[in-house]
Amino acid sequence: MIKFWKKRIKNSILTEHLEYDKELTNIQKELKSFISKKFASSLSIRMIDSGSCNACESECNALSNPYYNLDRLGINFVASPRHADMLLVSGVNTFNMYHHLLDAYLQMPSPKYVVTLGDCPIMSQNVFDESFAIVGDVAKYLPVAYHISGCPPSPNDIIVGLLEFLKRLK
Amino acid sequence: MDRLIARFAQEVENDIEIVTIYEKAGIQREIIQDNSFISLQEKHPSAIWFERKIYDDFGLRIIKTYDNRPLTHHERFPNISPMRKSFTDTQINEVKFKPYRYKSIKGDGVFNVSVGPIHTGIIEPGHFHFSQAGERILFLEVRHGYKYRGIEKMCEGKELDKIDTIISRISGNESIAYQIALYQIKEQALGADEVVPNIQHAILLELERLVHHFTDIGFIPNDGGFGASLTIASLMAEETKRLLETLTNSRFGFDCIGKDIELEKNREILIEYISKMDKDIAWFEDWIMDIPSLWDRLDTTGILTTEQAIHYNTIGVVARSCGLKLDRRDNEFYKQYGYKLQREKKGDVASRFKLRIKEIKNSLFIIKSMLNDFKDYSSIKHYNYEDGEYLSFVESSIGELMLYIKLKDSVIDRLFIRDPSFINWQCLHLMMTSDIIADFPLINKSCDLSYAGCDL
Repeated sequence: MIKFWKKRIKNSILTEHLEYDKELTNIQKELKSFISKKFASSLSIRMIDSGSCNACESECNALSNPYYNLDRLGINFVASPRHADMLLVSGVNTFNMYHHLLDAYLQMPSPKYVVTLGDCPIMSQNVFDESFAIVGDVAKYLPVAYHISGCPPSPNDIIVGLLEFLKRLK
Repeated sequence: MDRLIARFAQEVENDIEIVTIYEKAGIQREIIQDNSFISLQEKHPSAIWFERKIYDDFGLRIIKTYDNRPLTHHERFPNISPMRKSFTDTQINEVKFKPYRYKSIKGDGVFNVSVGPIHTGIIEPGHFHFSQAGERILFLEVRHGYKYRGIEKMCEGKELDKIDTIISRISGNESIAYQIALYQIKEQALGADEVVPNIQHAILLELERLVHHFTDIGFIPNDGGFGASLTIASLMAEETKRLLETLTNSRFGFDCIGKDIELEKNREILIEYISKMDKDIAWFEDWIMDIPSLWDRLDTTGILTTEQAIHYNTIGVVARSCGLKLDRRDNEFYKQYGYKLQREKKGDVASRFKLRIKEIKNSLFIIKSMLNDFKDYSSIKHYNYEDGEYLSFVESSIGELMLYIKLKDSVIDRLFIRDPSFINWQCLHLMMTSDIIADFPLINKSCDLSYAGCDL
């Protein structure tokens, strides 16, 4: 373990060494106060993939790496819809998955919000055509409060998008 | 035994033929009579999903089978045969819920655990059905198809140049591999006798492999309860993604193959990246090999024997960790840049973990030597594709990827994708037989298969 701590001390805090750090810090500061006001200090997100290519999931996982470190802002990805304030939906809405998506929404305690992530949940934005196996926009089935676009949105875009969403709640 | 690569059906004139592709025997065809065909499941267990997919796609009956349940058509799916040319609907109606018969073991004290399709982590949807005796896993059935988007049907009737964006987004982990496979088919369709290996493509493919492997060497110990490795490895993955963004304008390399990408301009950046990663991975290996409590967890967990690996026609990382020599990069082109086929022997989680570290080091070496050898490549400029059947193979970060396209009247008549995950998912349950349910995430992550590529 001594090796790890040596590296840890040598690397120090990586989050502070980004080239666009100033901008990100401002956004992050703003985000933190919003979250404390609206969701008692922590916004819990349940992410559901209803048919994406795994790029959006990969970017959400990247949010917890030391460069972005989303957790310190009080935004967590939680294990169950029953713990969540927000449902983050990525991917096209497939025939096989949309019932499970609706189930998850029903399991969430109120107040609850749905945010769509990436271009896929909106059929006119994504690269896919109408297909028998896709039931259409997520907004047709759930009350979508906000959309974060991008294919896939970068971790930075996701953080900015979450901020925008919270601003609109004001 | 000859390795089964793929098996699928297609319409020819007024008949339906079943195409079976083997490693040695090549392409075998058989015309269907009475809407039924004889199963290969006895000899090749990995044919099961292929045949169940044929049943879903064309409504053909499987003879001599012990598994004829639908694969992608779930409980509420109407009785349709979407891959037949006569089917053109873009909307279908739900039918009454028909329960799926899971395979499970029954007995005194034996119980079932259903996991998914919505999982606890940020991962793709899939269902795992365990039969348990206490903590011991007796049997596992893997069920997929939740992400079934109908991509094969979507591409039919389109020109070859119009499907790049869709092919790019089939599986985010293997996007570059998919694009290269399509590019190779385009080259063949333009009349090239032999596909000339392209160094730019090879470098991008290795970078994609690095992103995937870095993510995995973080997540495998993390699922074993050792979170520090994820912190370190996710940094390396993030840096690789950022490099990809500099090179291709997309963190996953979406829509980059076939465009004019000049890697030579970014040579300095690449050299700097390689030397940093060389140091980082050496440190990582030195550090992680020295943590006995982690290795206690990884060693002897999730064993797949070499016999099983051969019998189930496994490919990619899973096969190489059992000692099989299976890699599409195992050719003269890659060898001149220092490629060496990496193998492990034991077939457990630890082998797959170590194999990934070895492959990372080899990939970095390959990129480094390729940087000295840039050549000018002209990307495809003219678009007179000849009709015919084309097949291409690429070694993606998971394993061998196969793409089949049949062009007729200048448009795609049939497109078939065999993702490496489609085969490897079918042997996942074999790895569980001597482990407890808490080991499942660890074993699953050590194979890190794609759900999106499998479902299509």
